[in-house]
Amino acid sequence: MKTLKALTRAFALAALGAGFSAGALAEDTVNIGFSGPLSGGAAVYGENVLSGLEMAVDEINEDGGVKIDGETHKVNLEALDDMYSPSETATNAKRLTQESDVSAIFVPHTGGIFALQDFNVKDNFLIMAYTSTPTVTEQGNPLTVRIPPTFDGYVKVFTDYAMKKHGKKLGMAGATHEYAKIWAKMLEKEWKAQGGEVVAKNPMSYNKSADFYTGVSRTLAASPDVLFVGGASEPTGLVVQQANQLGFKGGYIVMDQAKLDEMADVAGGIEALNGAVGVTPLSIYESDSAKAFIERYQERYDKMPGSEAAYNYLALHGLVKAMQIAGTTDAEAAREHIGQAMVELDKRFNPYDVTEVTENGGFVTETTMAVVEDGELVQKEVNLELD
Amino acid sequence: MNILLQNLINGLTLGSIYSLVALGLTLVYGILHIPNFAHGALYMVGAFMTYFFMVDLGAHYWIAMLGSGAVVAALGVLCERLVFHPLRHSPPIHDKIAAIGILLFLEALVQMLWGADFRRMSSPFTGVMNIQGLIIPEQRALIIAGAAVLVVGLQLFLRRTMTGSTILAMAQNREGAFLVGIDANRVAMMTFAISGMLAAFAATLYAPINLVYPAMGHLVIMKAFVIIIIGGMGSIPGAVIGGMIIGFTEALGGFYLSNDYKDVIAFALLVVILSIRPQGLFTKGAH
Repeated sequence: MKTLKALTRAFALAALGAGFSAGALAEDTVNIGFSGPLSGGAAVYGENVLSGLEMAVDEINEDGGVKIDGETHKVNLEALDDMYSPSETATNAKRLTQESDVSAIFVPHTGGIFALQDFNVKDNFLIMAYTSTPTVTEQGNPLTVRIPPTFDGYVKVFTDYAMKKHGKKLGMAGATHEYAKIWAKMLEKEWKAQGGEVVAKNPMSYNKSADFYTGVSRTLAASPDVLFVGGASEPTGLVVQQANQLGFKGGYIVMDQAKLDEMADVAGGIEALNGAVGVTPLSIYESDSAKAFIERYQERYDKMPGSEAAYNYLALHGLVKAMQIAGTTDAEAAREHIGQAMVELDKRFNPYDVTEVTENGGFVTETTMAVVEDGELVQKEVNLELD
Repeated sequence: MNILLQNLINGLTLGSIYSLVALGLTLVYGILHIPNFAHGALYMVGAFMTYFFMVDLGAHYWIAMLGSGAVVAALGVLCERLVFHPLRHSPPIHDKIAAIGILLFLEALVQMLWGADFRRMSSPFTGVMNIQGLIIPEQRALIIAGAAVLVVGLQLFLRRTMTGSTILAMAQNREGAFLVGIDANRVAMMTFAISGMLAAFAATLYAPINLVYPAMGHLVIMKAFVIIIIGGMGSIPGAVIGGMIIGFTEALGGFYLSNDYKDVIAFALLVVILSIRPQGLFTKGAH
């Protein structure tokens, strides 16, 4: 009996101690959440996003943390796996807000972001949205920050380039996930608006297809001049490779999710992508801030960073800066000060030189375009004032 | 280009891979009555082992394939010894749960060791044959030929050798096999070894035209289960024919009907076949 009592007392004390230390920890820690795919077919994408976030967190902590309202805080990143499923994202968000008391959550996929927008205002947390879907910010959710530029700019300039260079017939062979569908719809509209014709529509599941030969040959049977492709970089590279094998000689419009340099590794060299137009890969950016970021990233991870790492990296730095300026970790205050934070943010933390945030929460970045001509990847001037 | 012929070749390529994976699955089911959900993971480990031998150790493609076959065969035996053998007297649901456990374990392990990155493994056969407009990449031709050799080889082993016959005997009649003195443990281990080896060979043949990553097994294992249900659980000809049926349906259906619905077509076929022959195409009685 005595031992039992002693034991109970010990447990109670231990529990109390744990409670205290957790409480003390919460005092000097800013928790920031992440929910994205960390297992399954899209795991590599989620890990790339996370790598940028973790790098930013470590840099802040190595500099001694962040001073919010006179007190120094360490930053702590709570990352949960949602396997790309919007319902899992919602569950994760509930867990993150209730258990870890986060006031901002990074989500790198459109479906998950839409799921959170249903309740983020009520639960008072900020969505750091890594998606180019325009509607994410157009719907006016007051606690959403869109990190990359919207893709409507790309659609316009890619169409213009590809149609002038290769011809008016477009074959659609993009992916089937939410993001790709919205992209394809906008491209189709733009292509027709500029006087082109869509000769084949053959979306394929880039993550679930065992083989693309059938889908690609079906699209090519309509003899298009330009092929729309795009999902994750690596399967997109495979699609291009198989189209080349089947004798396609036209151009490619590459959805911005896929990066030309990563596709080249799979498709068999940059020559395989001749005639392609897509977003400029981070690796050929010329600015000092981008170069410095690439160097630090390579030192740490021993590989070339993609834009998902860089964008999320600068967004986390910006978010923490916003909390510092606001003097609180509150979601609403952070959202209010994020514009000012991007202006004041140290250049070396800002590889894309974002210095402006739109009224509805979108980071403003220059629209870029890169093309592959004669086996070389070159950046092109973008003229958004077409028509 | 002759479109129909081109699609038949595509179907044959897909069907060959599906058949090889389904064969391993049906062998294990025929003898131990275990639906081995972990088979897709063995396939994935096979691809990673070949990748390891080829890229990290610099072995030749064929050597890497043999090495990978040996490793995955050993892994199969290990699964049988450590997991399925101790569970032999438990209700079947335990086997199923254990199989799913192995699947999750292997996937997580590979992701921990190699990371989630998509990897590219190229074989020495990268050329493309162009026969009067009919386009056949060499690796695809190799898949078709390789699968044919393996299926014939397996058939010969099972029918013409004593060891092979013990496997067939076990599949046909368990008690009878015991009565004539067949060692059940040995047969079980051998079956898992062959099944693992087939999975590794299939992965090694297929990986050069696709990507290598921890979730790659999901693509084929689902199809493999459909195939052995169509063909009849435990039936070897059923697995081969079933694989071809699904491969051709995907290629032809995807081309002439709709690429969006090619999986729907395959599953609709499953429903039709099951409503006419509930036991599958090639079994004489339901298990």
